[in-house]
This record gives sequence, C-alpha cells and structure tokens, in this order.
Amino acid sequence: MFGLFNKTKEHTAYINDESSPVTLKVEKGKTLLNAALSSGLDWPHRCKVGSCGSCKTQLLAGKIKPQIDFSYVLNRNEIADGYVLACQSELCSDVRVKVNLDNIKKRNKL
Amino acid sequence: MRFFVNARYLIVPVSSLVTITGILLGGIYAWLGVALFGVYTVIDTVTKDIRFRAEKDANGNSYGVKVFQYLVMYIMLPVFILLQLVLAWRLYQYTSGVPIGTANISIFSYQLGISGLHLIGATLSTALWAGLGIIYGHELSHNKKEGFFVSRLIMALSGASHFTYAHVYNHHLDLGHEDDPATAPRGRNVYWHTWLSHVGQSKFSYDLEREKLNNQGKSTLSFKNKWILGYLYSLPSVFLFVWAGGLLGVAALIAVWAISNFLLEALNFMGHYGLIRQEGHPVEHRHSWDNDNVFTSWFFIEIGRQGDHHVRGETYFWELDDVGAPNYGIGYFSLFVLTLVPFLFRKFVKRLLEDWDENHATDEERLVADKFKSIGIES
Ligand code: FES
Repeated sequence: MFGLFNKTKEHTAYINDESSPVTLKVEKGKTLLNAALSSGLDWPHRCKVGSCGSCKTQLLAGKIKPQIDFSYVLNRNEIADGYVLACQSELCSDVRVKVNLDNIKKRNKL
Repeated sequence: MRFFVNARYLIVPVSSLVTITGILLGGIYAWLGVALFGVYTVIDTVTKDIRFRAEKDANGNSYGVKVFQYLVMYIMLPVFILLQLVLAWRLYQYTSGVPIGTANISIFSYQLGISGLHLIGATLSTALWAGLGIIYGHELSHNKKEGFFVSRLIMALSGASHFTYAHVYNHHLDLGHEDDPATAPRGRNVYWHTWLSHVGQSKFSYDLEREKLNNQGKSTLSFKNKWILGYLYSLPSVFLFVWAGGLLGVAALIAVWAISNFLLEALNFMGHYGLIRQEGHPVEHRHSWDNDNVFTSWFFIEIGRQGDHHVRGETYFWELDDVGAPNYGIGYFSLFVLTLVPFLFRKFVKRLLEDWDENHATDEERLVADKFKSIGIES
C-alpha cells in the first residue's frame, strides 16, 4: 500500500558482474534500454518497439514493469528464466540484470 | 509556443466533430465530411513547400504535452464510436421511412429523415473520417498497455484490430522486405496492395497468436487468442448496422470498412513504396519515405515522419523530426490522389526511385532493384 506513495524518481540497474557491476540510473518513465543508451552503454538493440528480441536481458533480482506482452518474442523457457525486453521495461525497484555487452563502451563515466 | 505545438494536432478531432454535426443536421450537410477532405486536399497541395522542424525549448525538450496528447487520442475512441452511431441513426431513419421534414432542438433545427442521396453522403463522410482512426491506432500501438488496447478498439471499429499486432511485430521488424505485407514492392498498385497488405497482416497476426498459444501449451481456438478477440471487438459495429438498416446497414458498414481500410493501406503504400532492405540488416532512415509538409504533418499527427519513426519507434509523434529520409516533396493528400491513378503515381515516383537507387541504396539493395528493372519494373 505504501508503494502508492512511493515518490522515487529513479531506480538503479546493476548490470552483470556481481562484485563490481556497471551501475545505471533509470529515471521513472524511461525504459532500461533508453537509459542504457543515453548513458553511453552499447546495449544490443534493433527495433526499440519490442519486436526483434535483440535487447533481451535476464532479470536476476528486482521488479520491472513490462510495457508489452513479452511472450510474442521470448519463448516459454526464456520467460521462466527471467528474460525481459529492455526496450519495453521500466523499473519498479532497483534491479540486477545480466546482458551480453560484448562491445561494452562507456562513453561517459556511469 | 507550447499551446501552438499542441493545438495544431487538433485538425482531425475538430473535423471529425464537424462531420458528426453535419450528419446530425442532415440534408446537404451530410456531405460535410467529404467536402472537408476536398478542402484539405487543396490546402495540402498549396502548402507543399512549407515545412517545420520539431520545435524544442532551450533545454532541448519538446513542447508537446504528453497528458494532453494522450487525452485527445483516447477521446477519439468515443468520437469514432459516435461517428458510427450517427450514421446508424440516419440509416434507421431511411429504412424505417421517416418522412423528410424539419425538427428543432431548442433554437437549433435539423432535418428529420434523409434522402438516399444524402445517405450516401453520410456514409462516405463516415468512411473517410473513420479511416483517420489509423493515425491514433498507429500511435497508440507503440505505447503502454492501455494505449495498446485503445489502439485495438479504434482499429476494431474498422474491422482491422489485427493491425496493432501486425504493425509492431511484423512491419517494424520486416520493413522493406518481402516478409512485410505492408511494404509495397515496385510495380504494385494501391488497390492490389490494399488486399494483399490487409490479408497478409491479418494472417501474420493469426500466426503470431497461434505460435504464442502453442508455446504456452494452449489451444489456438480460445478467448486468449488476440486475433479472434480483435474480430469480436468489431461485432458491436456489425450488430449496430444490422439493427439500424438490415441489408442496407450491412452494405453501409462494408462501404465504411472498405474505404477506411483503403485509407489505412494507402498510408502503408505511400510510406515505403518500392524501397528495399536486405533481410537481417537494420532499418535505417533510407527505408521510409517522409511526407512532412506542414499540413500533412499537423493533420496526420506526424505519421509522415516515417524515417525517424522507424528508427526511433518508441518516440512520441510530437518529437519526431526531419532526419533526411527520402522525401516525396508533397503531402499525403496530394500523393493519395496520385496513387489513385497507378500510371500517374509510377511516373511520379520513377525519378525518386532512381535517386534512391543511386544515392541511398547499398550495393545489395541496388542488386534487388536491378532485378525489378530486368523484368521491366522501373518504378
Ligand atoms: S530492441 Fe527489439 S525487442 Fe527491444
């Protein structure tokens, strides 16, 4: 119930490595992907409308608010394993996620 | 500036209300919706060289007010319902033989009963403005859950609820490739495209649901199937028109749906005609045609900024901008008139496609264009 009065304007996403994760501030109303891209992270993506699946990430802890139904793009196993589409996810709490950032480039210090 | 930027997108809402009022008044006013289309075609044509960029404040933020624009888009659902209701009312009067005469509500007078000719006017007016549902159905298809649902309902009023899923999961992914039924290849005319695109998108939406439900171990034949649900959402319109006009009502509804879907598919047709993208390669600005002269932009709530929209699909319409995508140089109204005469349209687009092949296409895309040319399809 107190969640109703929760005025938190942003949450933090801890990305990958458990001991020294990349941290990302995600403003309310912004998707995880957009926050990552505007922070200079080279997060994989293609369509940004939830249809290609290339931005998928595994949610290890925390809660997100999905903007669309993921089951058109992610299969049953992926959903069971906690995969979400970053371009269609807003954060409801701080989260820990795993994503393949092979070409991670930090243009800005996060 | 904030007022101006937000108010300029109210042309369709206000014109829809004028159209509804015209049908309510009856007589010659039933043709108001058709007349407005004619007037707007002229305005669009004479303002073809006036363009605006997306205006931003000193901090780089758009002047668009999200709450207001969403409110307008949501309110358009009852407006489109009202449009069908007033046509159904006129159909009911016609089929039940209400004599033509004058009636008054307070100081306002309107025509009671309607002639066959003016009923045709009311049907055409309804069809043309119902077809504009696409601009809101399209914008809302890209947004949060409730917006997506409103999009489905708006499109269901034209029997095209499948559009919302097909647009996001098919068109945005497969654009410019033969897997996208909404992209018209060179040589196709708008009439043929309407059928192929409509049926193709509906089939895609059905297959998408079947696959999803199969994945979940559920039956395709269920109320969880959004393709089936979409058509069920259209049933109230069918019941309304059958009740109001029997067979004539069915004919009127078919006319409304045929014309509104024709407008929808004409927009798809114009948006990507003849452009080519190699499968698996990213969608770029060059894979869409922009139509961004002032009247088209404001009337169609920037749906003509296709280049930007397809690369930044999550972006609100009032933030879309000129990104240097290929541009027809004329607005949607003028271009639509050209598409109605396939020979003229192909003549018009030939030079533009030659330019695209030369200056925008990759080598692989040019190879596909050459294949079209080798079988005699130049544009
Ligand atoms: S970028 Fe395509 S699904 Fe997220």
